[in-house]
Amino acid sequence: MIRAGAAALRAWSRGRGWAALSTAPPAPPAAPEPRRGLAARVPHRRCPHVSPEEPPVPPPVLRSCRVPVVPPLSPVQAWVGSLRHPEDTLRGLADLHPDVFAVTPRLDILHAVATWQRNYKRISHARVRSRAEVRGGGRKPWRQKGSGRARHGSVRSPLWRGGGIAHGPRGPTSYFYMLPMRVRVLGLKVALSVKLMQDELHVVDTLEMPSSDPRYLLELARARRWGRSVLVVDTNEFPENISAAAEGLKSITLIPALGLNVHSLLKHQTLLLTLDAVAFLEQRLLWHDARYSALVPFSLPHRDLPWPPPAG
Amino acid sequence: GASRKEEREVEADRAVPEREERSEPSLIHPPPRRRSYVPPKDLQSCLESHVREVFGPSVPQDWQQTPLQENRLKHRLLARLAAELGHAVPNSQLHRMRRAGDVLGFYRSPVKDSTKIDELAAAELPPNLKIIWQQ
Repeated sequence: MIRAGAAALRAWSRGRGWAALSTAPPAPPAAPEPRRGLAARVPHRRCPHVSPEEPPVPPPVLRSCRVPVVPPLSPVQAWVGSLRHPEDTLRGLADLHPDVFAVTPRLDILHAVATWQRNYKRISHARVRSRAEVRGGGRKPWRQKGSGRARHGSVRSPLWRGGGIAHGPRGPTSYFYMLPMRVRVLGLKVALSVKLMQDELHVVDTLEMPSSDPRYLLELARARRWGRSVLVVDTNEFPENISAAAEGLKSITLIPALGLNVHSLLKHQTLLLTLDAVAFLEQRLLWHDARYSALVPFSLPHRDLPWPPPAG
Repeated sequence: GASRKEEREVEADRAVPEREERSEPSLIHPPPRRRSYVPPKDLQSCLESHVREVFGPSVPQDWQQTPLQENRLKHRLLARLAAELGHAVPNSQLHRMRRAGDVLGFYRSPVKDSTKIDELAAAELPPNLKIIWQQ
């Protein structure tokens, strides 16, 4: 990991950060002409021969599905990029399992899971007093007949000003309910498929960054046209550079792969997954396709769960 | 903290010679990737030469029927074309590129220029101005 020294920070604040970065942009594999740095590329060009002084090209990062893909399905693919330089986007090719990243786009399931996420934690504390709870009102205000006024039994009935409320909220009310586990899993699969098919999903080999400056991340997201918000997912721990950079930022969020949920996926415009996160998600989400129904809750010990048993 | 204040003082001292740099914004920040793409006129020959270079002797009679099954060769071909033409195949279309003919069809279709508001949204904006434009 390359730490930004004081000189690099000064260069960055002056706006010449890109020149101060020591990581050069990766040479494209046998590109016809050497890159002109950050100048605009000319789209029309003949195809000249490969120049002999090209720097060594790193081997492509290829990833295949660990869970076998049953024909006639075929894996979907995504480019593997990296965060080391804003133009380093075509480092390799990753195969993604179609039963996770290419399911039918069930918007009703997305709606159901997003609504569930919003409501299952909700406890409404609204409570109003009924006619029995309002202070007073035990005595009949006037006699039943002969006074000329309407007949009433209590001054705190719902008809009276200052009386109790007839059918008001009687909190605290819980809106807890659980969707079946397979529906929630399918919601995640649908959300991931939608992100991939709308070109909002990007795969990265690691989250290593050359500097821990939040401006670097913002500039990278802007240069790659990622959108206004980015959700970054990794399996366990994040490198210090990216966690320091994303700490002050509101538009870039880091979450572990266990915390992936439909609401966050819909809330952020772009999703950034590492290869480890892709493998983790595929393993966990595909297990539900071929498991037995739970005769006892999964919180009790089982022999064949995909996650490690809790300690103790 | 204190080090940032020192940097700002240093920056203020050197403000005068750096006005020339600030006048050219394209050097300071990398411009966002251009979405517009117009296919070049020699696209077919260019593609054919790249296919023959990457796949070597295993290209069948009709080069457009070359299968792109092996990921290594597919990545090499598509990365070369992206660097050459400045336009990469997006993730959603990658699984559709099964043969060289599919790649040719993809690169034949031009990508429209963004509208004025899209360009404004992508340009350098002050931090308290956000443009939300969805078509």
